[in-house]
Amino acid sequence: MSFLLPCPQCGPRDVYEFRWGGPRSQRPAPDSPRETWVAYLYLRDNPAGRFQEWWYHRMGCRRWFLAVRDTRTNEVAHTFWPPRPSDPTEPSEGAPAESAEP
Amino acid sequence: MTTPRLPPHPAQRADPTRPLTFTFAGRPVPAFTGDTVGSALHAAGVRILSRSFKYHRPRGLLCCAGRCPNCLVNVDGVPNVRACTEPVRDGMRVRSQHAWPSVERDVFAVFDRFHRLLPVGFYYKTFIHPRRLWPTYEAVLRRLAGLGELAGFDEPPGDYEREHAFADIAVVGGGAAGMAAALEAARAGGGVVLIEAEPVLGGALRLRTRPLADGARGRAGWEVAAELAAEVAAEPRIRVLSGATAFGLYEDNLLGILDDRRFVKLRARQVVVATGGVEHPLVFENNDLPGVMLGSGAQRLMALYGVRPGTGAVVAAGDDRGLEVALDLAAGGVSLAAVLDVRVQTPESPVAAALRTAGLRILNGRTVLAALGRGGRVRAAVVGGAGRDAGASELACDLVCVTTGFEPAAGLLGQAGSRLGPDAATGRLVPTTLAPGVLAAGEVAGVAGLAAVLASGRLAGAQAALALAGGRLAARVAELTEALALAARPPAPRATLASAPRAGAKKFVCLCEDVTETDLRRAVAEGFDHIETLKRYTTATMGPCQGKMCHRPTIDLCAALTGRTVGETGTMTARPPAVPVPLGALAARLHEPVRYTPMHGQHVALGATAMDMGAWKRPLVYSSVEEECRAVHEAVGLIDVSTLGKLEVAGRDAAAFLDWLHPNRFSDLKPGRVRYRILCDDAGIILDDGTVARLGDERFLVTTTTGGVEAIEQWFTWWLAGTGRCAHVVNVTGALGAVNVAGPRARELLAPLTDVDLAPAAFPYLGAREGRVAGVPGLWLRIGFVGELGYEIHFPADYGPYLWDALLEAGRPLGIRPFGVEAQRVLRLEKQHLIVTQDTDALTNPFDADLEWIVKLDKADFVGRDALRGARARGSRQRLVGFTLAGDGPLPGEGAAVVTDGRPIGRVTSAKWSPHLGRVIGMAWLPAELARDGASFDVRVDGTTRPATVVTRPFYDPAGARLRM
Repeated sequence: MSFLLPCPQCGPRDVYEFRWGGPRSQRPAPDSPRETWVAYLYLRDNPAGRFQEWWYHRMGCRRWFLAVRDTRTNEVAHTFWPPRPSDPTEPSEGAPAESAEP
Repeated sequence: MTTPRLPPHPAQRADPTRPLTFTFAGRPVPAFTGDTVGSALHAAGVRILSRSFKYHRPRGLLCCAGRCPNCLVNVDGVPNVRACTEPVRDGMRVRSQHAWPSVERDVFAVFDRFHRLLPVGFYYKTFIHPRRLWPTYEAVLRRLAGLGELAGFDEPPGDYEREHAFADIAVVGGGAAGMAAALEAARAGGGVVLIEAEPVLGGALRLRTRPLADGARGRAGWEVAAELAAEVAAEPRIRVLSGATAFGLYEDNLLGILDDRRFVKLRARQVVVATGGVEHPLVFENNDLPGVMLGSGAQRLMALYGVRPGTGAVVAAGDDRGLEVALDLAAGGVSLAAVLDVRVQTPESPVAAALRTAGLRILNGRTVLAALGRGGRVRAAVVGGAGRDAGASELACDLVCVTTGFEPAAGLLGQAGSRLGPDAATGRLVPTTLAPGVLAAGEVAGVAGLAAVLASGRLAGAQAALALAGGRLAARVAELTEALALAARPPAPRATLASAPRAGAKKFVCLCEDVTETDLRRAVAEGFDHIETLKRYTTATMGPCQGKMCHRPTIDLCAALTGRTVGETGTMTARPPAVPVPLGALAARLHEPVRYTPMHGQHVALGATAMDMGAWKRPLVYSSVEEECRAVHEAVGLIDVSTLGKLEVAGRDAAAFLDWLHPNRFSDLKPGRVRYRILCDDAGIILDDGTVARLGDERFLVTTTTGGVEAIEQWFTWWLAGTGRCAHVVNVTGALGAVNVAGPRARELLAPLTDVDLAPAAFPYLGAREGRVAGVPGLWLRIGFVGELGYEIHFPADYGPYLWDALLEAGRPLGIRPFGVEAQRVLRLEKQHLIVTQDTDALTNPFDADLEWIVKLDKADFVGRDALRGARARGSRQRLVGFTLAGDGPLPGEGAAVVTDGRPIGRVTSAKWSPHLGRVIGMAWLPAELARDGASFDVRVDGTTRPATVVTRPFYDPAGARLRM
């Protein structure tokens, strides 16, 4: 694994400057059934294709951001800051969470 | 038997004026500076350098270029060193490996006679039954098969350095094409790194000692190489890494390079691969006998070291390259028994003419059918018509030079995603696609002839520069494209040879793993007829040479046996590393700087024993644990706690944010108060503990465990990201130093030094204040760190040494002592304070850890809420409790088993001798039903069991009266 990851703040950097933060996923609402929590906590889709994940720029700006990466090629389509709740919609370039290859 | 060297040649590396001596198998061997171990041993008459992997057959120099597995030796304790490329040093100790009692007479060579019992796959089929015997089989197999052994783990392996390097353009390969590419790219303005595996630039050109026919204006190859190398050296924009091997080309053009004892990770915007070609052996009977050598290997011995490869030779040529080898051998005084040209007719060329002039006859349509040996070396060759046994004749010789197979060295290109396919004109496997940002130049791209190779190199250099700079370089690229087209000449097609099947000796396809033509034939018959399954089943191409010698022969044979074309057969997947890389290089030290607290110098001066805690150095003990504990219990102690993680959390939503993150509540914490915290994840597992002090309505200081602050900071900011919460997290760990002043006389010590009112009513237990101490601005937390009245004081780190000295000085009349981590641990264990990750693990929730009081399930949603509700409803199966152990024998180790009736039911996580209590105390995980005061159980210590008793409340001051003094 040696790819370059474009940090929205610092630009393209060696992936070893970052910490992987897991897939972007939706935390269950309080009092969700146990199965929902188990799925959120322990089950991973591990898709072969594009998906959205968290990255932390450990050796740089120390900020969290999101990336759309193809797990087969490690090609990073784009990266973006996590949208705030006040943002009207997801950024247009943001693929839906955990989408498989179209 | 030492043979005299050839007269020195200007391109020669071995310097006869600087002799030295090393030993091989304990015997002294003379050599010249510049020799390799292999060249010096060959000059000294040593022909057997190693024994083969499976059959223990004798092996000797074959490629002389660090590519084949035949010359792996042990040098000064380091196994698997390639003799043919390892420079000799005076006094170095070289010995053979994988042979007993010696490489000349190896008793295990008896396996060669029993090859019928050891067919391909025998290992999988034979040693699987009965399964219980596998450990025995394994021990024996490990002894008999395999490669060299490590000397042992006592010897320090030595450190490798790591370098992160960057280049506009990286050029791999310092031959004609690589040097041309580097020069062109640098002159176009790019910053270039040129990587060459050999100590000297020039590549295969250096071996060519006679005037070249093409593109060299009458000069010899080595002269052209020297001129180009001088140009490269004069070009300031080229950094040359020579003697450095690029073993991997990874995503986004990251090159892994081994440069002596340095692991270089080079990131380049464009990579030009100019790795040339690899000559591979011909498959014939006994083709592994010492004395059978690749033509290029023989040329290397002569041109670089002045060593005559043999006295009488049979040369098998597939094209004019091979004829050139014959000429070089003749010029070097080797008598030629025969020059075989597998082509039916030798086309007219200057080389052919020169051979005729020298009176050497070429036998057309002939090849080597077998090598005959005696004493582990060639004594004769059987030559005859390719494909036919008839007309075979035996010619005496001690050298068989084969120059019949030459393929692009496309391993790095393959790693980067290039596909290989047979070239329509030559049949060689050339790259048919290139990955983005990767270019190929010279022979690796299928280009032949010096003029075309140079043009191809220049073109790749210009294209790489064009990709970066664009614009004006387009015209130059067009010009060079034309130049390459003009220089290109029809390359010689690949020799096609099908040696006749004869019942007889082995024909090796893969030398590393001792895979013969018969083995491949059998494997295909068994159904392993896909090139990738054939590879895995036979392990051909999987040895130390990584297919350099056998990739093409295996493909050819697979194609022939399955009736497919080479194109249909396909190639094996190229993976890094392209050459063996020591693990030590890959593990080259990471950048992990040691951290010292501001008072580190004081601790050293006081004679403290240092210990590692994460990246920090902390004092473990100053004088004695007993004395340090007693000072804290009876007078006052001082400990450096600067390594605690410290996060400042501020903002309008800071209190709500801390409520969200933690099972307990902080929104109701009043300014000027401090509260214990534990942190759980959404599975309810304890991640961290520490304190939260409220400094103002919107300002908190959070302390974390020493090692955990980075992860906790990331955890905090992750939960903040994208939420729109108005809260900020700042890591102030390094900015603040901290000490804890603890003991019944702590107030007496500090009162005269501070403007803070320390009266119990004014500054009660779990209070937080800001104020000076000995003139230093500080933040004071009154917490029960070690079970006595205590103040944790945080202050600007720079004041650390001054404050430390001032406190010790002021405390001298009170009997103050500095105490270290060991005393801290004893004192905290006396209070049953748990240590996260020592007493807890990846399954521990606060209920199991006896911390139910901290979980506020009445709060609105928080991280871990649903999991903790479930955990409470289910109840605990195991609980963490304190215990005392009878007797004063050795302490139970971390993880010592808790047993009843000889059955393990739990484990010990901490145990210490408490000098104050005069007994061993500890923490252990027990079944919940045993977690009650007075319950007894046994702990296994050093093979015996000792009775222990559960104590659920702190061993020392269970009511906490001393904290509130």
